[in-house]
Amino acid sequence: MTRLLTLSLLIGSALLAQDGSTKENWPEYGGQNSAWRYSALDQVDTSNVAQLAAAWVFQTGDNDGGLQSTPLVIDGVMYVSTSHNRVFALDAVTGKRLWSYIYELPKTFTTFYGPWNRGVAISEGRLVMGTLDNHVVALDAKTGRQLWKVNVEDANQCGCNITAAPLIAKGKVIVGVTGGDSAHRGYLNAFDLKTGRHLWRFWTIPGPGEKGHETWQGDSWKFGGGSTWMTGSFDASLGLVYWAVGNPAADFYGGNRKGDNLYTDSIVALDVETGKLKWHFQQVPHDVWDWDAAYEIVLAEIPINALPRKVLINVSKGGYTYVLDRTTGEFITAWPVAKNINWIKGVGPKGELLGRNEPVVGKPKLICPSIGGGRSWNHGAWSPKAGLFFTTGIEWCEEVTAQAETPSEGKTFFGGTFKLVPTPDKKSGGHLGAYEPLTGKAVWKYEYKYPLLASVLATAGNLIFTGDAEGDFFALDARSGKKLWSFNTGSGHRGSSISYSVNGRQYIATPSGWGSAVAGLMQQFWPETEQFPNGSAVFVFALPEQKR
Amino acid sequence: MKLAIRVFFFLPALLLADQAGTSLGTSAVVARGDKLFAQGCAVGYCHGSAGAAARSPRLRGRTFERDYLVKVIRDGIPNTAMPAWGDRLTDDDINALVAYIQSLATASGDGPAPSETASLAPPVAVKDSDLSPDVRQGRELFYDPQRLQRCSNCHRVQGIGTPVGPDLAKLSRAQLAAEAVNALKYGRPRRVQGIVTKDGDRFPAILIERGPSETRIYDLKAIPPVQRNLPTTEIQSIQQPSGWRHSQAVQSYATDELKAVWTFIRWVTERK
Ligand code: HEC
Repeated sequence: MTRLLTLSLLIGSALLAQDGSTKENWPEYGGQNSAWRYSALDQVDTSNVAQLAAAWVFQTGDNDGGLQSTPLVIDGVMYVSTSHNRVFALDAVTGKRLWSYIYELPKTFTTFYGPWNRGVAISEGRLVMGTLDNHVVALDAKTGRQLWKVNVEDANQCGCNITAAPLIAKGKVIVGVTGGDSAHRGYLNAFDLKTGRHLWRFWTIPGPGEKGHETWQGDSWKFGGGSTWMTGSFDASLGLVYWAVGNPAADFYGGNRKGDNLYTDSIVALDVETGKLKWHFQQVPHDVWDWDAAYEIVLAEIPINALPRKVLINVSKGGYTYVLDRTTGEFITAWPVAKNINWIKGVGPKGELLGRNEPVVGKPKLICPSIGGGRSWNHGAWSPKAGLFFTTGIEWCEEVTAQAETPSEGKTFFGGTFKLVPTPDKKSGGHLGAYEPLTGKAVWKYEYKYPLLASVLATAGNLIFTGDAEGDFFALDARSGKKLWSFNTGSGHRGSSISYSVNGRQYIATPSGWGSAVAGLMQQFWPETEQFPNGSAVFVFALPEQKR
Repeated sequence: MKLAIRVFFFLPALLLADQAGTSLGTSAVVARGDKLFAQGCAVGYCHGSAGAAARSPRLRGRTFERDYLVKVIRDGIPNTAMPAWGDRLTDDDINALVAYIQSLATASGDGPAPSETASLAPPVAVKDSDLSPDVRQGRELFYDPQRLQRCSNCHRVQGIGTPVGPDLAKLSRAQLAAEAVNALKYGRPRRVQGIVTKDGDRFPAILIERGPSETRIYDLKAIPPVQRNLPTTEIQSIQQPSGWRHSQAVQSYATDELKAVWTFIRWVTERK
């Protein structure tokens, strides 16, 4: 009887559960707004993936910073954005260019946070993008004609800009900002998709009179970072937008911002209509290591004690994966994605940090992982079919020397320097693992000599796709981690692959193009990577026509 | 990247004032360059400890022409992450940095121990001594990033802000003579018009350009204003007056704050 009840509860909630898988289209940055990066297409599977062949290639022509974006596909049209805010609409079957848009950048602007762009969002025929000079623009998705443009904050004043894809939820364009390593106060904004009019702002650092303001010393709240430099998620049934907030500034020096520094390094859940805070969970109170919580937030339904639970999964830069109840923000568990972690001894049963190991002023200290993260921002994938979360992880350390620093509006605000050093076991490098979401147990691990810096794609064909620094784009068996196929695209991988179908034919598409901040950091440690060629192209693969 | 506003805000004292201007031996110059480099160039994601590379290029083990280094440090590289330091560093500082970077040409992969570059006095914010407290306060209020509705949302002054409303550096003597509150709250809008679209939306706007197929406007219904490109056929009518009042745009400011802002604008205009 209990069994039957549990079963019917399971089925009932499975029907209610948010289906985050993609099919013909890849309509949002994370696949769907639940950020699974899981395609339900299974034409390409473990039995035939070895025959996957290139269908077409599109060269964007702008190599600066590589190609870090996630292409979108809607009804046979692919949309891809590149460095310097260029957007191309391509026929998803042939790669033929339908239109292109080149954003008009001012004569002088700051690109401290890089020239790249990580993606666009599309809804109701409108394509929106954040820009290097901190504007949001909307285009007609059919023609590429510019519809509206609004300045969030003068980039030359704030030293900040937008590199992440916006999230569209309920007709609102929700968009974050960089600036976490500058003297800047972070925020998240919502604009009306149709008119561009501003609807709400959530300050990631509470102002005077607001709850949480007391977690900042003196004026430090004005310059405390808390950027929102990646893309959040949305649960329509709860009406909640989830965003991960980055590190406090200065990164390595906390002497003039004593306190917990809310809501930096936190997951925040906001009412989509008002932007008001529903709950928050802070991963790292008073961060002095630059451990952004900024990465993707995967919204999954996982059985806990035989009952399905709405959870969110978020990997933090400090190397821990957090699982929270996304209705209440309650901490469920946290587990490491990297072996070399020494900034804490562990995470306690309530999510509290155990045994902090902080940098000191004027003296180098060994910290693992390095500032590049126990994982970089490149996204993981959730396969409901496998019941596993697939994510990369990095083994590397650094010597940090904190340095007292006073803020100057809009200028960099790091509070120290660092130098990459080998891990104590001398086994620096990267890996991709298949993890049980509640235990963190790795079912398998694929090892690589360099960090793996491309996102992961999971498909219903039991396949896992990603790419590496040397240009190999490859497929692994989701159950065993065995490599089944690989193709060298001639430049390393730092973007996010997707899958889609047109007229019944499944395609796998990947950006290729080495670049980015972390790719730059790698040169300190692996000098040969300085020679790795930049690039910026989209490669698309399918099974040969007769093989389908 | 000539950012006038920054020059006025702070002059971060990266420079070690006690040493500036004195002539130093080569090794002392290099040591000084090392310290400046650690504070300004090696930080965070920039050039890495002792030029070992990070987001920005590796400088160790490479040779650069002296003149090239001076130019790049002083003027920056436009539209890259490399800022111009000319407004923050003295010639002596730049020379010291150049000497230091050139000394890295023969350096091997490992930088000097970071401790050599540590525990310096923190940069000090130096206020521009030209400014009276009123002007300084007014300027801070004008660009105040902590309020959602600020003057620079609609006025571009000294290169910062969106040029929706008039250029405030060009105000006439007569306009400047007005009381702050009268000028900023009750001035009669002349350029703002009321737009009605075919789908029934009404809003105040500034016309940028009216073409046969497309009409470009600034939509003033919300702050910050939105630059919109409307198909001309979607516009039902354009009316004057619009009903828009400048007092709505300056709502977030108290009367004495407006006075301070006005002092700043007078100062800007007089400097021209
Ligand atoms: C929402 C946009 C907006 C904001 C915010 C705003 N203004 Fe204006 N301002 C305008 C517009 C538009 C005009 C021109 C009105 C017209 O002539 O129709 C204007 C006109 C003016 C004028 C008169 C200029 C002239 O040539 O007659 C002054 C002075 C001025 N603004 C100062 C300020 C100051 C100071 C602030 C901040 C306290 C401010 N404005 C905030 C939009 C704005």
